[in-house]
Amino acid sequence: MARIKEVVLEVFYAIAPIVGIITILQFTLIRMPAQYFLQFLIGAVMLSMGLVLFLLGAHMGFLPFGELIGTNLPRLGKVWLFVLFGFLLGFVVTVAEPDVRVLATQVDVVSGNQVSKNLLIYSVSLGVAFFVGLAMLRVILNIPLKYLLYAGYAIVFLLAAFTPAYFVPVGFDAGGVTTGPMTVPFIVALGVGISSVLGGRDPSTDGFGFVALASIGPILAVLLLGVI
Amino acid sequence: MNVLNLFTGFSEVIVEVAVALTPLLIIFLLSQVFFLKLPANKVINILTGFLLTYVGLVLFFQGVHIGFYPTGEQIGMILGAGDTRWTLIPIGFVLGLAVVFAEPAVRVLTYEAEKASGGYIPQKVMLYTLSLGVAASIALAMARTLWGISLWYFIIPGYLLAFIMAHFSKDNFVAIAFDSGGAATGPMTVTFIMAIAIGVATVMEGRNPLLEGFGLVTLVALAPILTVLGLGLLYDRKEKALKRQLDEVE
Repeated sequence: MARIKEVVLEVFYAIAPIVGIITILQFTLIRMPAQYFLQFLIGAVMLSMGLVLFLLGAHMGFLPFGELIGTNLPRLGKVWLFVLFGFLLGFVVTVAEPDVRVLATQVDVVSGNQVSKNLLIYSVSLGVAFFVGLAMLRVILNIPLKYLLYAGYAIVFLLAAFTPAYFVPVGFDAGGVTTGPMTVPFIVALGVGISSVLGGRDPSTDGFGFVALASIGPILAVLLLGVI
Repeated sequence: MNVLNLFTGFSEVIVEVAVALTPLLIIFLLSQVFFLKLPANKVINILTGFLLTYVGLVLFFQGVHIGFYPTGEQIGMILGAGDTRWTLIPIGFVLGLAVVFAEPAVRVLTYEAEKASGGYIPQKVMLYTLSLGVAASIALAMARTLWGISLWYFIIPGYLLAFIMAHFSKDNFVAIAFDSGGAATGPMTVTFIMAIAIGVATVMEGRNPLLEGFGLVTLVALAPILTVLGLGLLYDRKEKALKRQLDEVE
């Protein structure tokens, strides 16, 4: 029960200020048709209830599953399994990530179906998958994070110079939205798991840097879509 | 007044969320059979979690679909078409403050940064700097849409600065900084504030919503990276200066 109260409050604090600001603006500056404003209020209620259920469900389902994978994979003692699971989980979690879906829907609508929602979601997910796998390899091979970040962003900027201009904002936006409430806990759990297998390393620092790499994947994937 | 369209596209959302969650469910079931082998009550718990997540996501998307997205776009179109379109910049700033203060991921980040700096970066300092950074980012993004400035003018100096600072920062700080890129881009930013920018770019002559509507999340993602690295360097210098003083005393 304590958890439910906590989650409800968390969602309330996240949404109430926005609703408050928009309500004030509606009666001073914006004055949109009443139908829009009502839909906004009802939408806010639906979205809040949705977020509460989503977060509660994540605490019961996704998060324990992510942690279980992180703690059970080391028992199998095979390091390459982390790369495989990093790839697989990176993909399936991003497919389910709400923020990615919202962005993809908006791109689909704004581009007049030229960049379809599913194409974008699946390319972004592949991008995350590839880079989470790479992040696992990085820990195994002990490559400093900085080098991979420099190299990753160098390729990003190079591709951005060659891709049609309108893929650039969407690509960088995709990098920002992938690290949402679904992806982060999964990736971090895997990261902590692999550090414990390899031993002799500090899990508190090796666990970091996974999300950083994972957010390069989607940018590359979208820019590549543009080049192709 | 028109009838409210609360359930437009509801059936599509139901199917879409099911399709989105199925791969994850399959991976869970396969892992369970092959190596997790959890007791039945735990499996039931996790499956209940999946079900709650499913219902939650359906409601979330429907709320975005009928409420936040159309309203955000409408607000952008109304303000973008009027003489008071400059108000979008302060409105963006205020919305940015509201978003970042409420984001749970931000609190996790400020905690991590305090720990990694050995307490040298107080959580409060980080939270305030970050909030101003994100608010400024959204204000800048609105200005970018209004004046049609290319995203290049923001990402090149932004990332260049980030990498120069990263070069002089400790490794664990670089990891925390680049991990936190998404920390401030919660559901409100993507569902609502971005829709405002797209609305503005749609209604203003000579603006392409693909070019000037998107890109807001990009700027919001840069703010925490620059904040963490900047504060890290600042406090690192303080720490070193303090050490020097102590050495001289000895």
